[in-house]
Amino acid sequence: MKSKTARVGALILTAATAAALLTGCSSGAGGSSGGTIQVETGFASGSDLLATFTKVTNAYEKSHPGVKFNLIPSSTNYEQDLKVKLASHDVPDMWWTHGWSRDRYSKFLEPLQDQSWNKDVNPQLDAAMRTSSGAIYALPLDTDVAGILYNKSVLTKAGVDPESLTSWSAFDAAAAKIKATGVTPIEVSGKANGPAGNLIDWIAPGKYTDAQLASLKAGTFAGSVYKPIVDQVESWRAAGYINPDYSSATQQDMSKALGAGQAAFIFQQNSVAADALTTSPDAQLGFLPVPSDTGKPYLIGGEMNAFGISKTSSHLTELKAFLKYLAQPANDSALAKAAGSAAGLTTSTSDLGALQTSYDQFVVKDKTRLVPYFDRVYLPNGMWNTLVTTTDSVITGQAQPAEAVNQVGTDFKSLYGQNK
Amino acid sequence: MADTPAASRVTGAPAARPSRKRGAGRPARVNLFYVPAVVLLGLFTAYPLVRGILLSFQNWDGYSPDMTFVGLANYARLFTDQVFRTSLLNTFVYGFGSTLVQQVLGLALAVALDRALRGRNVVRAIIYLPVLVSPVIMGTMYYLLFQYNSGTINDIVIAFGGHRHAWLSDSATSVALIVLVNSLQFVGISMIIYLAGLQSIPAELQEAAMLDGAGGWKRFWGVTLPLLQPAFATSIVLNLIGGLKLFDVIQVLTGGGPGYSTNSVSTFIGKAYFDNQSAGYASAMGVALFVLIIVFTLVLNLFLNRRRLEM
Repeated sequence: MKSKTARVGALILTAATAAALLTGCSSGAGGSSGGTIQVETGFASGSDLLATFTKVTNAYEKSHPGVKFNLIPSSTNYEQDLKVKLASHDVPDMWWTHGWSRDRYSKFLEPLQDQSWNKDVNPQLDAAMRTSSGAIYALPLDTDVAGILYNKSVLTKAGVDPESLTSWSAFDAAAAKIKATGVTPIEVSGKANGPAGNLIDWIAPGKYTDAQLASLKAGTFAGSVYKPIVDQVESWRAAGYINPDYSSATQQDMSKALGAGQAAFIFQQNSVAADALTTSPDAQLGFLPVPSDTGKPYLIGGEMNAFGISKTSSHLTELKAFLKYLAQPANDSALAKAAGSAAGLTTSTSDLGALQTSYDQFVVKDKTRLVPYFDRVYLPNGMWNTLVTTTDSVITGQAQPAEAVNQVGTDFKSLYGQNK
Repeated sequence: MADTPAASRVTGAPAARPSRKRGAGRPARVNLFYVPAVVLLGLFTAYPLVRGILLSFQNWDGYSPDMTFVGLANYARLFTDQVFRTSLLNTFVYGFGSTLVQQVLGLALAVALDRALRGRNVVRAIIYLPVLVSPVIMGTMYYLLFQYNSGTINDIVIAFGGHRHAWLSDSATSVALIVLVNSLQFVGISMIIYLAGLQSIPAELQEAAMLDGAGGWKRFWGVTLPLLQPAFATSIVLNLIGGLKLFDVIQVLTGGGPGYSTNSVSTFIGKAYFDNQSAGYASAMGVALFVLIIVFTLVLNLFLNRRRLEM
């Protein structure tokens, strides 16, 4: 009797463990659970973009009763989460490609150049999103156009005309004037994993010539070309142009400081302006092209909010139809507006809100050239963290520019070899 | 009556030789109860360990289907990587630094709270409470304390006429801060271990020493400390392993910065795996850290056990 009870107990325990394990593990097939289509939106809970995307998706579900989406908001570790899903073959049906549809995710994505909206993709996105054969792996909801964001009131008070800032020497002179008024010229967050790297992404295209960029893309890293970029950051640190709370400042602190007029310039995407206006609705903001030592000023841009479809999804047909629906001018325009960016398709309209004046002047009227994100196009995959960390060590005075350049060179060599 | 050795002595019959085979005579069904634990251990410890070791010989970005065998290249890179060297050095500082602080503070608190003081249980509970808090929360709390603009520490400095200081911008300060936060969080564990050790020391020994004219310090050095040897071994090994594996506090408090300067090997593994997309190299670092912790723990255990036997 006793032995029977013990055996039954052991069996129950074993079965419970097995059940718990099986429940915890995914099917391994990835993506859909039943008929629901899994979409990793990459959009934060409570953001305008997620709200608009949900609204548009709900309308689609209403008109297509057999289709059901599960829109998954972003965690704070979107990239890491997605990489884990890809590595474990738990691939979502559709996901936000955040600038990497071609260079990181194309192995997993369905080519979409045969879709009807392909001809309407903003040609400014070609450099970042298309392969040399014209293949495209995601539908761009917007075109990321970013320059140096600034607070107009701060510049006016310091007697700086933003249109005069067409060279780095003019920029530095303006920073000195702004600092004299007691305002931080350049606000950067050291707590967030990005803003320090953005300084490099923004400055670098204007320090490299086309030939040097081609050589870099081909795998040759020249420290002598890269060093002036870091030297520039170091000169800002030495002059006290960067906020003293850099190490503990968060991304929210950056936008707050810009909106409140406690900072003049920010090297960030336009979404920061939207955040700044949330805390300071009356703030006068704009953006200006980035000065260049090798050519005319430029704007940074490319893919930002775009969606690709897993080539192994069992809902390929439904998803292609859904992308076609998202590409309709009304939907794409609404989504681009929620992102605070220009539209991703030429058939849509762009409404950048507070930044519309700058957009009209520099993009529509002046047709300022748009250069791709430096790290995405010219550096091997995985270099972003190196840019952030080495720049961080220079801003905090923990490393000399030469040391930072050496580290970038070491990682470039290692990652270029790895990605070959 | 079973033919146990004791029973044999009583009856005068030859003693039955105890079986050398482990578990012999144990009903087979009892072994079934091991299954859940063995399955869990195998799936969540043994399998990842073996997979990690295999990955360390590969070149892999951490997510794509392609990986290539590179032999010992990832291990060779450990010897030339300056950032790994810094992270390794920091790991030792976190491991040994935290262990030292925790032993000194833990023992002092244990001795103080072993006395018949009013409310000592409340004080013990307060000191132990941070152990129950997630290191992420502890890190966040200290981050808020040491913030530049709204941090309490800077507010206090200003109240005393000083100037704001960017505490987290300096690598030496940040490393010291991490050691401090980790030590303060887990000092409760050391305190409890030493309290248990103190309470197991027979009172007669202390009394005998007192009768022999030994003062407080002499009794502490001559009686208490030597008899705490087993507690030392447990506390030091536990703290050292925790310190060498330190991850959460660093991640939240400094993120490994400024630059790479406060990374431990654990945090650098995370960066190499996910950010630099060097999963093979990250696995090699993981294996190196695993070996390192085993070696230190074994050596320390041997040393402390030998000391115990000598005493």
